[in-house]
Amino acid sequence: MNESLSLSQLNERIGLAVAADACLRDVWVTAETGDLRISGGHCYLELIEKDPVSGRPVARLRAIIWASNYPRISADFVTATGQQLASDLKIMVRVSVNFHPAFGLSAVISDINPEFTCGDLIRRRRQMIARLTQEGIIDMNRSLPWPDVALRVAVVSARGAAGYGDFITHLYENPLRLRFSTRLFPAVMQGESAPQSIIDALDLIAAEMDAFDCVVIIRGGGATGDLSSFENYDLAANIAQFPLPVIVGIGHERDVTVLDYVAAVRVKTPTAAAEWLIDHNSTALNRVRDLASDIFRAASDIVSGGLQQLAYYQGIIPTIALGNVSRAASALDPVVPDAIRHAVEALVRRHSDRLDADDRLIAALSPQSVLRRGYSICRVDGHAVTDAAALSPDDIMTVQFARGSATSTVNKVNN
Amino acid sequence: MQPVSELNYNQALAELEQILAQLRSDDCDVDRLTALTARAVDLLNHCRSRLTATDLELRTILRNLSQE
Repeated sequence: MNESLSLSQLNERIGLAVAADACLRDVWVTAETGDLRISGGHCYLELIEKDPVSGRPVARLRAIIWASNYPRISADFVTATGQQLASDLKIMVRVSVNFHPAFGLSAVISDINPEFTCGDLIRRRRQMIARLTQEGIIDMNRSLPWPDVALRVAVVSARGAAGYGDFITHLYENPLRLRFSTRLFPAVMQGESAPQSIIDALDLIAAEMDAFDCVVIIRGGGATGDLSSFENYDLAANIAQFPLPVIVGIGHERDVTVLDYVAAVRVKTPTAAAEWLIDHNSTALNRVRDLASDIFRAASDIVSGGLQQLAYYQGIIPTIALGNVSRAASALDPVVPDAIRHAVEALVRRHSDRLDADDRLIAALSPQSVLRRGYSICRVDGHAVTDAAALSPDDIMTVQFARGSATSTVNKVNN
Repeated sequence: MQPVSELNYNQALAELEQILAQLRSDDCDVDRLTALTARAVDLLNHCRSRLTATDLELRTILRNLSQE
């Protein structure tokens, strides 16, 4: 009969061999996480190495973070990566291999290098961004035109979540009293089912997209949550190609996700999403206010311009009328009579001058004047003789002088 | 003229801008001023009511939402 060991004896040997090998203590290992769960404060997970081409596991080992280490390791990890330790992450951990007779081989994790995961997350995100860019969809949602008025908001959020409440309160209690209308499309906002759940909600919104101006995807405010489920190509592609502008406010201060590269608007918190919407619509409200004051200014300008014109006429018409009257009066009073008088006087003077001249002419031409200058008038039978032929010898002729006359007899006529 | 209630926000806004342009033009008819201003007031109220809600409406909305 062959000598044999009980299984526990064998396992004990394995355990001793493992424990004795310094190469299996405090080794840094890189692997993917899987099947991660927390139980009794301890974190149980699987470390997996996959074939880079086929994606099939080529190595696998159970791992544990004891409750004494888990809070510290988890906090370090969250601080550096902005997400919780979870499945499907590439991690670098310091492990010591342990073999328990009853539970078998496992790696006890004592430390983590979050930088490795960061690099990997960034690498993964870059790949997604490159793919979205290559497919020509990365800017589609971001280049959608925003309507001037975006008051009808489809909200994707977890029902009853604090972030949703913050958003609603902030939106409806806006001091401008903008008339928002919202409708909640509930979705799971964390964990592995989140991307598909959000995509389903987006599909419902798309089915009645005419009823909405935009979509808001929000998630609990404040708490440093696990963003890894949002680092999802399908969700990013859905948002990128969504026909309405999408605002993403999934509540993380530091880190970004791939969704931030595709959504029309990225905000940090649900409250900030409400803030953004209020601000956007207040522009429209201000435009209405400006138009109102412009219109009333223009209208009152016309009225006051008209009134001013009327007042001007009111002031000027009496002046013009009175001016005209007084001008007419003054024209009648001193000026015209004077002119007439002058004209008449001139006329009279002109006429009297002419009469004077006529008098002088008449005086000059009178027979008496002629006679005084030495001429005399010869008359025969009372008729003045102007032609010698009319005379005959022995005619009795009376000669009149300026003073006195004489009677003569014609001796001879000389024709 | 289309009743104001049948206009959407952008149509109302466009008409407001048209009225403003008319009022600002040099040949604005004073006889039409009353009609234009009355129309502008209607349009402005319409736009504003599209954008803003009354206290009562807000209270109703918030009450409905809290019951969700």
